[in-house]
Amino acid sequence: MKKFLKNPQPNDSGLKGPRYWRSLDELMESDGFKEYVYREFPEGASELDGVNRRQFLKVMSASFAFAGIGLTGCRRPEKYIMPYNQQPEEIIHGKPLYYASAMPHRNDPIPVVAETNEGRPTKIEGNKLLKGRNGGTDQFAQASILDLYDPDRSKTTVQDGRSLTEAERIDYLALVSKKFSENGGEGLAFLAEGIPSVTRSTQLDQLKAKFPNAIWAEYDALDNTNPEKAASSVFEKSVRPIYDFSKAERVLSLEADFLCSDPFHLVYTRDFSKARSVDDDHPEMNRLYAAESYYSLTGGMADHRLRIASGEIPALTALIAASLFEQNGSGQTNAIDALKSLGEGLEVDPQWIKECVKDLLDHSGSALILAGPHQPEFVHALAFGLNELLHAQGNTVNYIPVPANEASSIFELADAIGLGQVNTLVVLGGNPVYNAPVDLHWPDVQAKVDEVIRLGEYFDETSEKSDCHINAAHYLESWGDLIAYDGTVLAIQPMILPLFQGLTESEVLQILINGEPKEGYEIVSSALTQSLGGGTQEFQKFLHDGFWQDSASAATNVTPSRQVIQQYFQEIDRPPKNSSANLEIRFIGDPSIDDGRYINNGWLQECPDPVTKLTWDNAFLVSPKLGEELGVVANNPIKTVVHKNPNAHKRGKHQGHLIEITLDGKTLTGPAHVQPGLPNYTVVVSLGYGRTATGRIGEGSGFDAYSLRTSGGMSSASGATARKVGGIKELADTQEHWSMEDRAIIREANLDYYKEHPDFVDLMGMESHSPPVLGIDESGNNRRDTVPLQKLILAGKENRGNSLYETPEFTGTHQWGMSIDLNTCTGCTACIIACQSENNIPIVGREQVARGREMHWIRMDRYYSAGPEQSRKEIPANPQVSVQPMTCQHCETAPCESVCPVNATVHDDEGLNVMAYNRCVGTRYCANNCPYKVRRFNFFDWNDRDMDRVYEGPLGPKGMNELKKMSKNPEVSLRMRGVMEKCTFCLQRIQAAKIEQKVKARDSGDIKVPDGTIKVACQQVCPADAIVFGDISDPESRVSKLKESNRDYGVLAYLNTRPRTTYMAKLRNPNPLMLDYYENPMSNLEYKKANDHGGGHRDGIGNSDHPAEGDVHNSH
Amino acid sequence: MSSIFPKEANKAPLQIVIALLIIGGTITAGFTYYFTPKYSRVGYQPIQPVPFDHSVHAGELGIDCRYCHSQVEKTGHSNVPSTNTCMNCHNQVLPLSPKLQLVRDSFASGEAIPWAQIHKLPDYVYFNHSVHVNRGISCFECHGQVNEMEEVHHAKSFSMAFCLECHRNPEQKMRPLDQITNLDWRPESSQAQLDFGNEMKEHWKVNPPTSCSGCHR
Repeated sequence: MKKFLKNPQPNDSGLKGPRYWRSLDELMESDGFKEYVYREFPEGASELDGVNRRQFLKVMSASFAFAGIGLTGCRRPEKYIMPYNQQPEEIIHGKPLYYASAMPHRNDPIPVVAETNEGRPTKIEGNKLLKGRNGGTDQFAQASILDLYDPDRSKTTVQDGRSLTEAERIDYLALVSKKFSENGGEGLAFLAEGIPSVTRSTQLDQLKAKFPNAIWAEYDALDNTNPEKAASSVFEKSVRPIYDFSKAERVLSLEADFLCSDPFHLVYTRDFSKARSVDDDHPEMNRLYAAESYYSLTGGMADHRLRIASGEIPALTALIAASLFEQNGSGQTNAIDALKSLGEGLEVDPQWIKECVKDLLDHSGSALILAGPHQPEFVHALAFGLNELLHAQGNTVNYIPVPANEASSIFELADAIGLGQVNTLVVLGGNPVYNAPVDLHWPDVQAKVDEVIRLGEYFDETSEKSDCHINAAHYLESWGDLIAYDGTVLAIQPMILPLFQGLTESEVLQILINGEPKEGYEIVSSALTQSLGGGTQEFQKFLHDGFWQDSASAATNVTPSRQVIQQYFQEIDRPPKNSSANLEIRFIGDPSIDDGRYINNGWLQECPDPVTKLTWDNAFLVSPKLGEELGVVANNPIKTVVHKNPNAHKRGKHQGHLIEITLDGKTLTGPAHVQPGLPNYTVVVSLGYGRTATGRIGEGSGFDAYSLRTSGGMSSASGATARKVGGIKELADTQEHWSMEDRAIIREANLDYYKEHPDFVDLMGMESHSPPVLGIDESGNNRRDTVPLQKLILAGKENRGNSLYETPEFTGTHQWGMSIDLNTCTGCTACIIACQSENNIPIVGREQVARGREMHWIRMDRYYSAGPEQSRKEIPANPQVSVQPMTCQHCETAPCESVCPVNATVHDDEGLNVMAYNRCVGTRYCANNCPYKVRRFNFFDWNDRDMDRVYEGPLGPKGMNELKKMSKNPEVSLRMRGVMEKCTFCLQRIQAAKIEQKVKARDSGDIKVPDGTIKVACQQVCPADAIVFGDISDPESRVSKLKESNRDYGVLAYLNTRPRTTYMAKLRNPNPLMLDYYENPMSNLEYKKANDHGGGHRDGIGNSDHPAEGDVHNSH
Repeated sequence: MSSIFPKEANKAPLQIVIALLIIGGTITAGFTYYFTPKYSRVGYQPIQPVPFDHSVHAGELGIDCRYCHSQVEKTGHSNVPSTNTCMNCHNQVLPLSPKLQLVRDSFASGEAIPWAQIHKLPDYVYFNHSVHVNRGISCFECHGQVNEMEEVHHAKSFSMAFCLECHRNPEQKMRPLDQITNLDWRPESSQAQLDFGNEMKEHWKVNPPTSCSGCHR
């Protein structure tokens, strides 16, 4: 008897797009897209430009012939071992050393631990000794290692085109010092970034004593001090709000991106995830309301997201305040009227505001309102006031004292320069020529100064306009300290001597103040011990721990001043009436390159933007509606989204129509990218691109949005117009790469639904129809891959289920597995860079990304979904976002293994799907057969070839830059051209831990690695603790516990791949009283609808709903 | 038929055979010379910059391997001693020997002594010394009778088969932990070795990796 298991096919009833989609083309099922997804790689990925196979063979046979001449290269080269002359005590060759340090990042430095191998830093981790930190970092900290070894860094001090030696450099600065010591610094000015540090404030005191007339100004392109400014006036005390998300059950975010770009986001993410994760001990989860213009990661995590123009947030805040006064029954009629008049004309559903406020009030004491740091002070002031009404202080928000900022602003400095009061300007870091507000005309201002001295890591736009450029040291080469957002004093200590003899800010200031140089260590240790007290011992502990013990600021009790808040009422503008003739432009810091400082960092450039998935470029993000009006999207009905030429799919290129934006008479042209979820008439653009003086990586990347940004509209500005100018720019967008089509890949439910149906994940996906992979338990339920079962199988007492594939034997001491919690993963992409750094993953460049050849082992899938009403007729205006990190699932019955003709990919006895690179001949069958599309192929020798010259073949230049070599992890092989690679579960870390345990065991049998010893790179970096790795054969391990959760599911498990990486279904917690509440949302509903299910599933597997199943068993 | 095939054609079979032999021989020789792995080259004995004699130091004088290769138990790499290790003794012993001129120069100048590398595994192999010497595998098993070598040579073939042979049957090579650096230690009999090895394998839970992931990352 032969019967086929018929996989249920989604029936095509009418125009019904997939419920989850990753790009508009996927949603609309545009013509090119269908063909595109059937391919293993995008078509262009496996093709040489203009070279067909025959030509290629000709060329290659010629190069083989040439190779014969050089065959002597096959002889073993003589190699030498160069031991130390004097063995340093702490260095054990092959064992990395770890030092605590901190990475400067505006007023939110990141405490890190740097791994050094033989004296060269190779990996950054977070410092988890600090309170509230879990060892997580963000993408910038991870990628900073690459900046250190950037061959394009500035290597010398240049004065008027002449390189200075180190001695000349000191003499030069000492001369400046001498010149100004006579007149008390009259005519001397400094412009620095706002980086708080004890050393800096000590030196500033010295500076003031020596040069009382000098000007010290600070400027940050992405300023985030508005909360402090507002708090200082509202509380009449210089304080800063610090939020405690672990206690916040209801959160309203007024365009705050506290999970990604706002200060202190690492701690906030950790706390937020804690309050969001649901398990038996913690059955409730928090609820997040977000009102925002740009689609941020915070908006993606939100349970209710309100899309609203950035300029309308003040009005919205006023209405929320009014509603709160109304509902808490305080009877403040005057205030209510005043607030309502401020919000007049705002088109927001009143029920949204009312129910949101009601929910917050119901959770008084555990509710929190916060605003984005770019929002005007009014919004912050009002939010502080409302938090008081919600009894947030002491619970969800604390106020810590911060020293008042006495620095002048860049505007005051520009005025002084305009009056001819400045003869010598010292620019410490920053890049004001590039990123100062355009109405300041900073390049002209700076040109008026006689002598400009610049300290910078790169010879950039500001250096070009300076008389003397001093090359700065990277933070990994520096002595220093930083003050964290919560007041903790963090240590910066060098991991390596400055590669190019760069100077730090404190060393430059030292010479300028005292006329003579001093060791960085001396400057920092004396500054710290003087200001904080304590001696050498305390300082040594400070260096060891990376922070000064108990230096975090204690919370202080403050009371808001009502008068001050009301005074703010006067300042606020009425909400702008945005329309296509009056667009709002919203400027954001780029998630990849920040304010432009990381533009020459290849890892960050190639890391896809968390939401748009653009790499290497920026774009004008426009709403679908504006896109239609501008003609970058065709009119309804949109069967094909013609922002892309149908043929373009073949290359995987995303075609952005060029549009021209005009704001206050200034115009800027750039590609448009349709981004659902934006307010109709807000154009979002990220800053930092279009640099004119940068290195080889950053050259020609994007367009400069600073050229539109004025001091009046630093974060958003109204009154812009846009028009399509014709022409197309091809963007390297990864949103469609490795698409997985419409299957129950992401599973989510509402909290309430989950409580009623804790088994909902099991009732989704094809596996609920296929024969039970692991058999049925006594009660007839589909059995889970749990530890007891594993044990029985390992003991040979139980069958693993039916598989035609010969199941590998898992006899190893450990059985590795991973659990990823979709409920807490925010999609921040830090894991992508951490993996890249740990596993020596190369970058491939814009052109190759456009062909789908990016090498990231982790792909952060971002799906949109718009609930049940969404159709293919129009692009949903405000879809939800769900993210899913996708990497090698380490299937127990891996489809890639059975098709490899050379056994290059096989299983090991601990359940890892391993790649033997040297066996791989590059057939790419495995990638073709991988249902998860997580295998990456080295189309070129990315490591040894220049990115822009890969097509030159054997005759092109070869070899890796010596500096680049230093950044590589010595424990991981570099892969050659023609080799497949993929996630290894950080095999090098597993082996290191196993070996360490065996060395410790010596003549005992204690060789099992304790749970928690191994942290894989993506797990370690995750600020949300969403990834857990461990031994699933140990029933007590954390990963085993998580896998036993009823939210645990394997992606595409119906294929019987038995993935070792499983996911925990996502939950959302929408408010039933809100208008946009959806009862049974998302994937669950989608799945049911697509498969025309009644409620038949609920009764368990094997009921009459699925007649085929019993037969299938028999057919084996 | 002679009108079709000239008389010389009679020699053709022989010619073909000879030609095939020559071609085949050349190819075989070429492969042997160029493509057999050099890390398995037994007998490789480069000339060292300093004529260090292991048979004197480790043999006659009986200095333990770990006096110089001090990190072998702690890390994957077994270190070549730094110059100061040599000078610990040689500032007293043979302080003026011309053979040690390079060592004294190095100590004075701070320049490293360029020792020629003998045992070299390919870059994609991650061998770890510490886990072997701490779990009953002697230096002898891979490096041979170094205490009798005047100048060290490559004693065993470091092919994958060599590694796997032991990884599959560790009981044949395991020895008591206090005999690891005693290169002259031999089991009483092969049966005694097997008995000891099997017992230790059981007791220590020795289960050397035989999957790719054990050595290749």
